[in-house]
Amino acid sequence: MGEKMLRASQTRPKTSSERMSGNVMKKCDTFVEKKAIAAAKSSAKSTAAKSASLKEKKEKSTIRKAALERRRSLLETLRDFSSRSGKPEKTAPLQQLEKGGRLVEQSKYVTTLEPSEPAVEPRGKQNGHHLPAGYGDNRIVIQVRDPLWLHAYWELTAGKFDALHLEFGALLNGARRLLRVYDITGIFFDGTNAHGYFDVEINPEANSWYLHVGNPGRSYCVDIGLLLTNGRFITLARSNFVTTPLAGPSWITDEEWMIVEEDFNRLYGLSVGFGVGLSSADIKRQISKRLKQQLSSGALSSPGASAGVQRGKPEHERKFWLVVNTELIVYGATEPDAQLTVQGRPVRLNKDGTFSLRFSLPDGEQVIPVKAVSADKVDERVITPIVTRRTE
Amino acid sequence: MEKGYLCLVLHGHLPYVRHPEHEDFLEEDWLYEAITETYIPLAATFESLIRDSIDFRMTMGMSPTLISMLLDPLLQSRYQQHIELLIELAEKEVQRTCWQPEFNRLARMYLDKFKFARWFFVDKYQKNLVTAFKNVQDAGKLEIITCGATHGYFPLMEVCKASVRAQVRTAVDQYKRVFGRQPNGIWLPECGYNPHDDEILLENGIRFFFVDTHGVLHGTPRPKYGVFAPVFCKSGVACFARDVESSKQVWSAEEGYPGDFWYRDFYRDIGFDLDFEYIKPYIHKDGIRINTGIKYYRITGRTNDKQPYVPEMAREKAAEHAGNFMFNRQKQAEYLFDVLQKKPIIVSPYDAELFGHWWYEGPEWINFLLRKIACDQNVIKTITPSEYLLKFPRNQVITPSMSSWGWKGYSEYWLEGSNDWVYRHLHKASERMSELVRYFPDAQGLPRRALNQALRELLLAQSSDWAFIMKTGTHVPYAVQRTKDHILRFTKLYMQVKDNAIDEPWLSGIESTDNIFPDIDYRFHA
Repeated sequence: MGEKMLRASQTRPKTSSERMSGNVMKKCDTFVEKKAIAAAKSSAKSTAAKSASLKEKKEKSTIRKAALERRRSLLETLRDFSSRSGKPEKTAPLQQLEKGGRLVEQSKYVTTLEPSEPAVEPRGKQNGHHLPAGYGDNRIVIQVRDPLWLHAYWELTAGKFDALHLEFGALLNGARRLLRVYDITGIFFDGTNAHGYFDVEINPEANSWYLHVGNPGRSYCVDIGLLLTNGRFITLARSNFVTTPLAGPSWITDEEWMIVEEDFNRLYGLSVGFGVGLSSADIKRQISKRLKQQLSSGALSSPGASAGVQRGKPEHERKFWLVVNTELIVYGATEPDAQLTVQGRPVRLNKDGTFSLRFSLPDGEQVIPVKAVSADKVDERVITPIVTRRTE
Repeated sequence: MEKGYLCLVLHGHLPYVRHPEHEDFLEEDWLYEAITETYIPLAATFESLIRDSIDFRMTMGMSPTLISMLLDPLLQSRYQQHIELLIELAEKEVQRTCWQPEFNRLARMYLDKFKFARWFFVDKYQKNLVTAFKNVQDAGKLEIITCGATHGYFPLMEVCKASVRAQVRTAVDQYKRVFGRQPNGIWLPECGYNPHDDEILLENGIRFFFVDTHGVLHGTPRPKYGVFAPVFCKSGVACFARDVESSKQVWSAEEGYPGDFWYRDFYRDIGFDLDFEYIKPYIHKDGIRINTGIKYYRITGRTNDKQPYVPEMAREKAAEHAGNFMFNRQKQAEYLFDVLQKKPIIVSPYDAELFGHWWYEGPEWINFLLRKIACDQNVIKTITPSEYLLKFPRNQVITPSMSSWGWKGYSEYWLEGSNDWVYRHLHKASERMSELVRYFPDAQGLPRRALNQALRELLLAQSSDWAFIMKTGTHVPYAVQRTKDHILRFTKLYMQVKDNAIDEPWLSGIESTDNIFPDIDYRFHA
């Protein structure tokens, strides 16, 4: 701690000539330094504040560096998926609801090429800094994002395609790659008994997809496969089964705890915090409105918002701006064992008898008597700088 | 006689961030800030209430990662250094601002608070803040519930339920060791419920959990009492649902209390505002400006021209808002009592870190609220879920709907363009962990150590925080790196265990960096 204070107090490096030798008061050098701290900031596009001081530039570049670092790292991550394929990155138009930042968009459009090598094995090949592009599986996994959307990711190996090639040969030419989405609600799905299905044609380079199923409270299974030119569908991998949640109240009531429709609507309105007397159409609207509100950890106190380089500023205020503050540094030196006061307040001297005080300097006049009294109380010196700040 | 109950729930969680390999690590500040601004003020508030014989009930989730960090000697001593440094800065601020009384008094306030924090942390609790909360629980006022071991988001673990089980078992195991009893409740990470996860809770002796409003409202069959009574899952585990109205009053960016113009502004921090050379010793070693916690301005309004913070006015506002919150709950309870012909329970869960860290006056608000409820009225009573279930053991059986309290109410925040890539790796690692458990049903010695470490790495990779951060856009490289690091370490361990080629020195190394859950048993992943 002491070391830090010392470091902080030595705002100006001392030269040996400043160390005066003398009897009573070696030196009381009041150095007045007005510091204009102008912080200038402008939007990323504008040619950033030319007048900004060196310091600010340094600070700015730290921020910019961090942002670049962030971008680089994200892109690196994304590249991880395609790096092993050796083919150029291609984009797949993933269906997305969300408008994200540019990075997010980028990340949506960068996907793995396939078929991919099982990158983890053999062990010697494993690079300590990259995740494998694949695990040597033929598999597709689906997850529920919300009542209307699923997410699917998959991996198919070269071996799978080699085998297909042997079996189907030229038939594979011109085959389209599909995701076949089966509605398997309430049944034990055996591959043939789905209530229905729909196909989504996918880019052969894609390795994940958002699927709009559009039906809450239904169960789904997804095949990834090839549709041959003769109309035959070959399943390459079949997913797990999932069920989308309901987007509104269940139509099922139980006898023992039955509640009449009207009362339920009233209660529903109360439960979602919009009062009583809603029609069922209102209710639907209200709950979807409610779900779009930020009422949880996403809203405010994420750890990410609490530290680091990004400061939340209201968007509309991210225009050109300027802040100027002034500070005053009063520093000097005396006998190390002397008693020193500044404006009547005692000040602790550094071991070598130096001192340095920093003041935030408001407009107006500051009278700053600096008084040193020798250890034996015999000698006394007072020097009184007077500083005026006036802002125009 | 009361007409209804208020169940206040604070969910305390931070991801496991501990980097012995770095002297100064930016993301560790999340913990230090939360200790100074949230955990200590909350614990001190509870203590003051007990001291004044105020009868109150509060429910608090403490995530296992948070508990682990609060109990970690390295982080404890680093926090001590951190608070010492803050005290030093506050002392300088007292000097620097002496010509500006409106700031000087704030500098003194911070100096006092930081000194109090040091005393509370170092002298009173010997750096172990978990004890502070345990004491309040042992006094019967606080119910501490557990959480997923590393805050893994369960709805996106549907294809690897063994990991859900490992998250819950590890958490319960830690809870028993730390608090000396079985946890009754759990805060599902991000309030993420997936049907049938309650069966895993039941296996582990958990009696209740929470869901967001629509989790129960859209459950099947229809809930007779809406969200104002808990329901039982078929497993017999109880499920409490969040009340929207009370949430909105605190959470909402527009209508919520924390946006009051008299409250302290979160963004104006001297770490960003002051001259670089001056503040340098107190920000990140690489010169990255960070929040110091010393903030001199109030929200003021929709302007950048901020006015100095006035603690007395802010305190008045906190008291006023506490009164308003209580009044609204009274009206709500009275009305619901009429409608339901039953005493409603109003469940109001919040992130603990909202209080103090984001909403600086939050702990004060809780203090006022609990005092007012205890002393000024008798329409509502605070209650814990365990107490409620004892009083009202008969409830409707419902299968809640899959839901979370995240943006839009489901999984979108953790499953979108910025972060959906993590799941293929997480699922594969989980599958491999299960494979290891099957192959090595009773490993001993070195393989056991490696297997235990493999589970630690898997759990750490599963923290929902990483996906969350990737989405929010701050600290993204860190979140990406953490995900990769843990997956890669896991994979290496998997290979080594399978090939019976365990690199012991390397294992020792990661055991000491990723040292969470020292008593973990890899067979939890079953």
